Amino acid sequence: MPIANFTIYLFTMFGIYALFAMSLNLQVGYAGLVNFGQVAFFALGAYTSALLVVKAGLPIAVGIIAGMLASGFFGCLLAWPTKSLKSDYWAITTLAAGEVIRLFALNEKWLTEGPFGVMNIPQPLEGLIDKYYNIFYFIFVLIVVAVVYMLLSMLTDSPFGRNLKAIRDAEDLSKSLGKNTQKIKVQVMAIGGLVAGLAGAIFAHYMVYISPENFRPLETFLIWGMIIVGGRANNRGAILGAVVIQTFYVSTRFVGNYVPIGSDLMSAARMIVIGLLMVSFLIFRPEGLLRERKKTYPDEV
Amino acid sequence: MLKIENIEKSFGQLKAVNGVSLEIEKDDIFGLIGPNGSGKSTLFNIISGFYRKDKGEIYFDGERIDDLLPNQIVERGLCRTFQVSRAPERMTVLENMLLAAKNQVGENPLNALLKRPMVERSRKKNLKKAKELLSELDLFHLKDEYSGNLSGGQKKLLALGRIFMLEPKMVLLDEPTAGVNPTLTNNILKGMQNLREKTENSFFIVEHDMGVISDVCRKVFVLNSGEILAEGSPEEIQQNDKVLDAYLGRN
Repeated sequence: MPIANFTIYLFTMFGIYALFAMSLNLQVGYAGLVNFGQVAFFALGAYTSALLVVKAGLPIAVGIIAGMLASGFFGCLLAWPTKSLKSDYWAITTLAAGEVIRLFALNEKWLTEGPFGVMNIPQPLEGLIDKYYNIFYFIFVLIVVAVVYMLLSMLTDSPFGRNLKAIRDAEDLSKSLGKNTQKIKVQVMAIGGLVAGLAGAIFAHYMVYISPENFRPLETFLIWGMIIVGGRANNRGAILGAVVIQTFYVSTRFVGNYVPIGSDLMSAARMIVIGLLMVSFLIFRPEGLLRERKKTYPDEV
Repeated sequence: MLKIENIEKSFGQLKAVNGVSLEIEKDDIFGLIGPNGSGKSTLFNIISGFYRKDKGEIYFDGERIDDLLPNQIVERGLCRTFQVSRAPERMTVLENMLLAAKNQVGENPLNALLKRPMVERSRKKNLKKAKELLSELDLFHLKDEYSGNLSGGQKKLLALGRIFMLEPKMVLLDEPTAGVNPTLTNNILKGMQNLREKTENSFFIVEHDMGVISDVCRKVFVLNSGEILAEGSPEEIQQNDKVLDAYLGRN
């Protein structure tokens, strides 16, 4: 039974991180915006939903939607003044923004309970489904992943998605063809924020307890690892990357029980391995496991 | 149609454009020549909104445009190409063409999700036009090739194709034939003239190749050290002493 439970936990986490990775993939893979602060959106979604439900007593569905909107709004807020920055400055700004959100959660105790975190976060339908709750939640996450994957595919396949790729590959050209590249950047940060906020809210209601420890910059680098390994500008790649990195990250926790090295050393060692994996992919297979697909149009006319 | 008054632009101590005034009329081809570093590309970058001028005014179709953003200038029907052609690394030639189409319904993310039938209709219309244009430009066989893999000349031809999709009133072409072999140069010039006949728009061309300029332009402006040195028909320009001194380095 413990193994079955663990497997369901692992698969649920696959789903949550797949959402999280797809949100980054939209910004990095499609639009070429180097975002090192994606964890901020995840944290905002998680905290907004958890606090609205725990402290204000609102329904969970309202909490989740508010979490998404808060993250989406934060995306606009972050992108608006920075939309004309070049990629390296943009990266620094997003990294800082990620830390600001975490430090806010850590220090504003009146709202967030600081380092103690938010406890006893309610779960959807928890009184109704008892025995197989984990399976229920997994199916819920699976449906959300499927819907988000479908919506994102529709977006990236559309003229909007084509504009994103044009900004990534040749921003000057996009401008010279009349594209309002700054507006498009704000839009893509907002949409990425919505999806990351959704992932964060679902994470909060699954874990039942969240604290600033859950939202360290490390999380951003884990999802970067997912899209580098899985493949950028490919939503299936982001999902595959989430499965690969998450499997490795979670399962290596138990290696410490069999290998005689301390748990501190172990947790450092697995980050080194993930780092090595990212670097090897960038050198030997820069396009990732699933490469960006070439968009062709069948001869219909 | 395009009126430039007293434009000035400096980079640090260097005065790149120094009080240039000129006027381009509707429905014709105009040329801009000058030695390297004479300010031709800077002037184009200012007109198209990529650089901000220090002084002066620019009017297009009677409307002042020198404080607009590049995309707003394109919306008014004035567009440009680049000296070094931009070609997205991982977008196909056909996608390049579709990218350039104006006012697509699905460019708005909400429309892309909610107004699928409209998006589909506009896609079909643009796809048809893009394929026809690619055939005319002799690029159809490359439609599914990544534009980043094209040769320099093919990229210039594609740049022209994107302009066709955009249907502007006036085009600024920055060295459309530089570094291109004679056959492709011919294709580019032919494409340009076809486009003009069809759409009655005007061209303003920066060129180094005096031959190209004389073949296609009605009037030529000569720029030297950021100032207009001379203007006139290609024949007049070729016999102008000041031009020969500046451009050919005759003493």
